[in-house]
Amino acid sequence: MSRKWPDPTRVLVVEDDQATARLIQARLEMEGLKVYVAPHGVEGLEILQREPIDLVTTDLMMPAMNGFRLVQEIRDLPPPKGRVPILLVSSNQNEQDMIRCLAAGADDYMTKPISAQVLVERLWRMHQRSSSAG
Amino acid sequence: MHLPPAMVLRILVWGTVILGSLVSGLILLGAGIQLRRDRQNRHRIARYQAWEADLAAYLFSGEGTPRTFPRVAKEDRQLFQKFLTRYHATLAGKEAEALRELYLDLGVHRSLPRRLKQRQTAVRAQAAQEVGIFRLGEYLEAVVPLLDDPVPYVTHLAAQALTLNGDLRFAQPVVDWVLREERYQRERLLRVLEGFGPDLLPWLEAHLDPPEAAPEPWILFALLAGSHRHRASAPRLLELIAHPDVDIQASALKALAALADPLTYARVEPLARHEAWAVRAQAAKALGLIGGPDAIPALIALTSDPIYEVRRNAAQGMADLGHAGTSALTWLAEDPTADRFARDIAKERLEWADERGHQ
Repeated sequence: MSRKWPDPTRVLVVEDDQATARLIQARLEMEGLKVYVAPHGVEGLEILQREPIDLVTTDLMMPAMNGFRLVQEIRDLPPPKGRVPILLVSSNQNEQDMIRCLAAGADDYMTKPISAQVLVERLWRMHQRSSSAG
Repeated sequence: MHLPPAMVLRILVWGTVILGSLVSGLILLGAGIQLRRDRQNRHRIARYQAWEADLAAYLFSGEGTPRTFPRVAKEDRQLFQKFLTRYHATLAGKEAEALRELYLDLGVHRSLPRRLKQRQTAVRAQAAQEVGIFRLGEYLEAVVPLLDDPVPYVTHLAAQALTLNGDLRFAQPVVDWVLREERYQRERLLRVLEGFGPDLLPWLEAHLDPPEAAPEPWILFALLAGSHRHRASAPRLLELIAHPDVDIQASALKALAALADPLTYARVEPLARHEAWAVRAQAAKALGLIGGPDAIPALIALTSDPIYEVRRNAAQGMADLGHAGTSALTWLAEDPTADRFARDIAKERLEWADERGHQ
């Protein structure tokens, strides 16, 4: 299906596994998105504060600052940065963790292994929702 | 015996020369090994970087475009196997299928029977992992002996390979292996058994000895029924909550909570008064999930339990019920005639929610 992303749409990918990060980056760049990659939450937060990021996808288990903490830190920022849509991607299928992350302010949650096609679709839906919410 | 000084000097000189030669030889050997490793690492990094770009192009080629991947040199095939297995935990759906096709095109799966018997642990482990992640059903028979491998890492990968293929012909050896493992590893073993999918549950019911004879497998059964939310296992779970073993009862309660069937509430509610605190703690978690707001009176009673964990679970269970539960907690916290334990845990839970700005 065709998606017409606004140009530019900037996505921040926070992922400590470099192989996974590069694969996600390649798939998102195919969509025409501008992708920023950070290996952990601390660097992710720095990029978010520096760049006009439209969407965030983050891993849950990471060194330095994990995804749960990153979601909390982002939601503590003033709008519009504090309202950026966040998709959590994790290999942890623990139900309580999912609830914790959604309660902390994540917009969606995916567990690995993931289909890159589904990831793009979820990001698209999140972007659509945030655009229509203004 | 006294040696002449000239002889002593000669021995010393030759000894020093031999020792020096040995040390130099060892240094040279070490440097050579290091050099070789550095070269291999550089080669690996270079290959991985090139393959990463190729893999992205291969996996995400547009609809209708045939997938192509550059030829992998024969000497790099072992490296390429390892490269592909890195993505098994990341990719699903069409991309996982494409990864499998790429692996099969390589043709290295033909060496699996030999590699599964290799003396080197890393080779056996890699071979078992490949059978599992690339769903190579035709090699499962050859994996079974690895369940008795002396290296735990290899047995674990072998069990995973047998479950990930979902073939219940291998359920018996895998369950036997699980039961030989230490109990503290239960969570890890459960993750392995989950690989068979929910079809394992009817198989377990049909093949396990009765819980009176062997309780441990039934604990795994209950926990699996919960993780798969397997409704058809509910009648057996209701039998298990009446079993005298506390571990079985608590595990069955956990599974019934995951099923959240209100029709089971009347059978679960009496466990709130069980003599074992581990069962009461689990009941405190389960009651609200199964009974909804109807469970509030039972949960209020549990907030005055002498064990903190039971009180905490009961208060959490009430908070999870939304407005009705929070109102009950507020009433408890403000009622001067309420039990001291109940009042304190209600206040604790409400303050905790207040600090975080949600229920």
